[in-house]
Amino acid sequence: MARCSRCDAVIGRSHRLTIGSVLALTVAAAAVYLIAVSAPLMTLTLRGPTESATVVEAILSAWRDGEPLVAVVAAATALVAPAAFVGLRLYVLFPLSLGSKPPGFAWCVRALRQAERWNMVEVFTIGVLLSLVRLAGLADASPGPGLFAMGALTVLFASIASAGLKHLWWSVQ
Amino acid sequence: MSDAARRDAQELLGCESCGLVSAAAVIDEPGLLQQCPRCGHVLRATKPFALQRTWACVLAAAVLYVPANALPVMVTTSAFQHDEHTLLGGIHELWLDGSWFLAAIVFIASIAVPMLKIGALGLLAWTVRHRPEWRRLERARLYRLVEAVGHWSMLDVYVVVLLAATVRFGPLASVGAGLGLLAFTAVVVLTMFATWSFDPRMIWRDAPANGRVA
Repeated sequence: MARCSRCDAVIGRSHRLTIGSVLALTVAAAAVYLIAVSAPLMTLTLRGPTESATVVEAILSAWRDGEPLVAVVAAATALVAPAAFVGLRLYVLFPLSLGSKPPGFAWCVRALRQAERWNMVEVFTIGVLLSLVRLAGLADASPGPGLFAMGALTVLFASIASAGLKHLWWSVQ
Repeated sequence: MSDAARRDAQELLGCESCGLVSAAAVIDEPGLLQQCPRCGHVLRATKPFALQRTWACVLAAAVLYVPANALPVMVTTSAFQHDEHTLLGGIHELWLDGSWFLAAIVFIASIAVPMLKIGALGLLAWTVRHRPEWRRLERARLYRLVEAVGHWSMLDVYVVVLLAATVRFGPLASVGAGLGLLAFTAVVVLTMFATWSFDPRMIWRDAPANGRVA
């Protein structure tokens, strides 16, 4: 690990992950992402009637309840940024692993930086857990498959992000 | 380090996007920008209007932080009662329930992190102008800490969104978002923008070009 001699910031790490292994992790993350956004995060039963919610349903219901800003920020950080994180990487890494540079490569790498900044899947996962605990006293709350997928996505994203973005440039020259 | 070497060192610009280091071009026509030769990203010695933008976002966040804490973020309705919960109230309830660990997590995410961000970015922006030589290394570390923990203040926003979406049992029990949540979300987004508009290179303006300085 290389550090700046003046401000002590990390400026480089050794990359144990090759383009191929990052691509493999990204394909896995794409599959897990689809489960995470389409499966219910939690199910709630209160004396008979049952309610469950996926990420998309939760955000739509915030929008309908008259909280557009909250809905937009939640959608950007828990839905759009993770999708861009996975989608743009797939678009960039597939051609790179075959030895060619995709059109719009520079734009994609810059967009990936923004996606990483806005991605908050890890916070969202803890948010679901916290909601479950707060509901436990009120009704019969149980975790859904979406929550486990979110947890897995958090781990996959952390491993993918550890490979870094700047070094993608080294493989195109 | 000699003056000439220092001057040369300051005429290099690192690309934020791809990391390539280029020599700073002499630009005599206003409005022209230098681009990174490898990736095309704009190269700048400092981010444009960094201090103004940081101050604007920090001050707006500080103002909105008051209603975010004073107004209820969550409204719960059940057959018997109608309750309004503020941020601190929610933490207090968790604490009374005996979930000290969760109460601590929510306290850190909803109270400590936003206050740290507003306070730290205010301090960083102020010292660039008024105490440029004061504890540069610690200030650089403080900025990186703010950048790293910033996301976590979204925690309570997600919790309210999730509770409002699942607790929908009509008159029996329902949860809705309060006005405080709107203000709090705005605080989170504004502090994120404040973090990104601040340029940590300003901390090192006129600092010795190499070696650790206290």
